Formats: sequence, C-alpha cells, structure tokens
Amino acid sequence: MFNNRAEKLFVWLFFPLALLMPLLLDQNTFYVNKLATILILSIFVMSLDYLVGRCGLVTLGHALFYGMGGYLFVMLAPEYEAVNFWLYTFYVLAIASVIALVVGVIVLRTSGIYMIMITLALAQMCFYFFSDSTEFGGNDGLFIFVKPETDVFGLSLFDLDNPTHFYYLCLLSLFNCLLFFKLLMRSKFGRIMDAVQENPERTTALGYNVLHFRLASYVIASALGAYAGYLFALQYGFVNPSMLSWQTSGTALVMSILGGLGTLYGAILGTLVYEGLHYGFEHLTENWLLPMGSLIILMVLAFRHGLAGYLESLVEKRK
Amino acid sequence: MDITLFLFQLMNGVQYGLLLFLIASGLTLVFGVMGILNLAHGSMYMVGAYLAWYFVNTTGSFGVAAVISAIIALLLGILIERTLIIRLYRRNHLDQVLLTIGLIFVFNALQSLLWGNDPLGVAVPAWLDGAIPLTEMIEYPVYRLFVSGLCILIGIGMYLTINRTRLGMLIRAGESNRDMVECLGVDINRLYTLVFAAGVALAAIAGIVSAPMVSVVPGMGEHVLISCFVVVVIGGMGSIKGAFVGALMVGIVDTFSSIMLPQVSSMMIYILMAVVLLIRPRGLFAS
Repeated sequence: MFNNRAEKLFVWLFFPLALLMPLLLDQNTFYVNKLATILILSIFVMSLDYLVGRCGLVTLGHALFYGMGGYLFVMLAPEYEAVNFWLYTFYVLAIASVIALVVGVIVLRTSGIYMIMITLALAQMCFYFFSDSTEFGGNDGLFIFVKPETDVFGLSLFDLDNPTHFYYLCLLSLFNCLLFFKLLMRSKFGRIMDAVQENPERTTALGYNVLHFRLASYVIASALGAYAGYLFALQYGFVNPSMLSWQTSGTALVMSILGGLGTLYGAILGTLVYEGLHYGFEHLTENWLLPMGSLIILMVLAFRHGLAGYLESLVEKRK
Repeated sequence: MDITLFLFQLMNGVQYGLLLFLIASGLTLVFGVMGILNLAHGSMYMVGAYLAWYFVNTTGSFGVAAVISAIIALLLGILIERTLIIRLYRRNHLDQVLLTIGLIFVFNALQSLLWGNDPLGVAVPAWLDGAIPLTEMIEYPVYRLFVSGLCILIGIGMYLTINRTRLGMLIRAGESNRDMVECLGVDINRLYTLVFAAGVALAAIAGIVSAPMVSVVPGMGEHVLISCFVVVVIGGMGSIKGAFVGALMVGIVDTFSSIMLPQVSSMMIYILMAVVLLIRPRGLFAS
C-alpha cells in the first residue's frame, strides 16, 4: 500500500495519534475545532497535491472548487430545515464534478504557465461573481442556519454540532481520501496517469486519449476539493467569497509543496506544519506574514523535495 | 450614451489600459527573457505607490518623489535578482511560484509594518492639476493625459530598445538561447539582472504615477497582478506587442462594463479572456 518507510511511519504515527487527539485535549472545543479545520485543509491540499504532483497539472485556481463546495450546499439546501448529510454530500460532489468537467475542458487546452494563469483567472472570476452578488450575500457571504443530519436508516452516526463528532467525521474523510488516492494510483487508471505525466506523446501513441485521462483526474481532484470546502462551510456555518480567493489557492499550493509534491501524505504534513507555524507566528507578532514569507523563501532555496523528502532521507539513512 | 460621454469613457479606458500595459510589459518581459514567473510583480506596483506617497510627504515635490522612488525600485529589483531570483533559473515554475508567493507575504507585511493599513492619498502635483475642456460640457484631467503620454513614451522607448539597440539584440538572443549568448562572451548574468530590475521598475513607475489617481491601499498589488495576468494571457505570454493590445482591450472593456453592466463588471475581463482563449489558446500574439 505504501511506497516507502517514511510514508508508512508517518501514516502509522499520524492516524492513531489523530484518533486520540480529542481525548488528549480533553475535548477542548477551541483546539478540537482548530484541528478539524486542519484535517479539512489537508483534504483540500491533498486533492491539489494529486493534481499538481501526480498529474503535472499546475493550477492556481483550486480554491474555485473549495468555495464552490460551500456555496453549492447553501444554494441547494433549504434555509430552515435539516437535510440529510449523505444525500447532500452526493449532490455537492455531483454538481461540483459537472462544473469541474466544464472548467477542465477550458483549462486543459493549455498547459504549464498558461494553465497556472487561466485557472487563477477563472477562480477570480467566480470570486468576483460571489462577492458582487446580492443574492449570495456579497462580501459577507451566507450563513448556514441548520446543520445537516447524518442519519443512516434512522441511526445517527455523527452530531455535526458537536465539535468532537465533527472532528471524527473530518478524520474519517481524510483517511478515506488518502486511501482513495492510494488505490487510484495503484489502479490501471493511476498507472496510465503516471505514463501521461512521464511522456504524453508516447502515451498517446499507445492509444490512450491523454486529454480524457487528464480531464478525469481534474474532475476527481476538483470534486474532492469541493468536498473539503463543503466540510469547511458546515464546520463554521457560513460561506464567504474569500474561500474562492487566489490567496486560498496559493496557500494550498504552498502547503502542498512544503509537504513534498506528489507524495499525498506530504499534503497532511505540509498543512500541519504550515498551520502550526501560522498559529505560532500569529501569537508572536501581528505581522505573521513576515516570518512566514521569509520561511517560505528559505525553504524553496534550502530543501527541494519538501518535508516528505526530508523525512525520507532521514528514515533511509537509518536503515 | 452620447458621443462626448463615450469619448470620455474611451479615454479613461485607454488611459487605464496604458497603465496596465506598463505593468504587464514588465511581467511578460521578465518571463519572456528569463522564464521567470514573478507573482510578486504586483507587489512592486504597490511598493511604487507607497514609496511615492512617502517621498511626496517628505520632500513635498511629486517630481523628486517619483525619481527617488523609481531609483529605489530599480535597486530593489537588482537586490532581489542577485539574492533570490538568480537561484531559480534552473528550477521549475513551481519553485518560482512558491518563492514569489513568499515575497508577496514579505512585502505585504513590510507595507503594513511601515505604513499601516489605512488608505492613503497622494495629491495631484500642482503643475499637472487642471483639466482641459473636451466639449463645453466635459473636461478631461491633465494628469490623466500626462500619465497616458508617459506610458506611451516608455512603451516606444522599450520598443526601440528591444528592436533597435545592441542591448535589445542581446535580450532577444538571450530569450532564444541563453547558453549560446553566453558562449559569445556576453555577461548574461548582468543582462538578466538588468532585465529583472527593468521589470520591477516598470511596475513601480506604474505604481508611482497611479498614486495620485487611486487610493494607496494594502492589497492593491494583488488586484493589479491578476488584471495583468489577464492582459498577458490575452496578448500571449512573452509578447510585448500582445501586452499592449491585451492591456488596451482589458482597459476599455473594464471601463465600459463598469458603467454599462455594473452587476457583472468585475467579471467582464475574465469573460473576455475566456472568449479569446477559446479562439486562440495561447493568446493573440503568442510566439
């Protein structure tokens, strides 16, 4: 299942520890919520990591789907009625996939630097659409008054108003997301995608339609990005245009590269470290961007394979 | 819309377009010659505006402030290229994106540290303060005409430098084959430093001359950066001519849509971009 010792080590350490976290924190609401947000972001970053690191499709507009996930729920669900979580998860994923298909057809006509700019511009377009709209609350966004219920055949699995329950939902989602990507990469589809990234011309010559495979990957990653945004909207009970802003995309890209591109578990690592540093710097100084920015610059210059690469080199040396 | 109002808005659109051209040409010059995607380019525009505000207040003269600010920007460009960008030439675009996002963070933090988060205003210099009548009804501000004229002059200067001088020849040669130019005994490193610093200075000059027209606020750089991306994508990455045409299109569309279609005006330039890309995926003047 896992490619190397570092990955195995991380997964075996992270998930059991994450499982115990609410107990260790004595269910302290603030920290449990904070950690749940990090898990949600990890899903978002992981989907971007797959796209950029595994498919070679560099996007700077992934936040389009993150915001879309939240907005889709607000648009679809009735305002004062609890809806079924699983059903609406399906709706959000399905509609986000259709949107991703349309966006994908446009952006995948280009590559490299062009794709970076076009994805960025399309995401900004949606950002302005929502921040200028009156019916979607403009800059203030919209509130979610009633959280969905998670009943399955009358049995309620999670109470979304309970931070600990919500935390476990996020953890389960992240674990499933990692598992899903791992299985995807091991499947025939994943091997063809590897070939597409390695050598698109040769893959075409073998009879595969490169565009279709890229499009499928784009839709999958975008839908999971939307799922993360949907979870974020549920956690905080509101959606806001800033979810779609290019800063959201940029930060996710930073987290993904910080963790080690294409490693997937690195996405979790990168998000954890970035958010940890953010939290720490924020306590030290109002201008947390200064140490953060400097650190990012140093990191680009110093280690080139991200934290996962660093971890791997540490673990391999011990062997 | 009657004809004078149309003319007035057209002039505004062209003026905004010319300013965008100044910024976008720097972005595309650096990319075209050095292959560097500088996301912090918008920050340089912001730096220009803030420097202009600061030096107008300390020296009292807009002209002096503009010259000092432009020189500082040029030096800043040299510093950034020598210390950071120089390490990125053999790296991929992702590393460039990451490093320049880091730079945006640093510049935003420095800006709020030095000058706070309140919007600042710069007065139009007295010798350019006035308006000339277009018709009996409408007057056009002299300062905006001055900015347009300056942008055109810089544009012509850039065109002549790139196409008619030895330096321009080297820049064009470096664009096609870096190693070959190096073999011919040209100090390519110095050439690159110069191009990068020129790019920074172009953005900063746009910021300096914008300062009396807009309010100087945090985040102004990012807003303009995204518009420049649209310009460059429409025109074709790396093409100065494309930047010029793209900037005028964006400037005019943006200005007219804000009076005619205010509900969707901020989206219009992106729609324009999407339409252009559907027809020509690599922009209008892609090489």
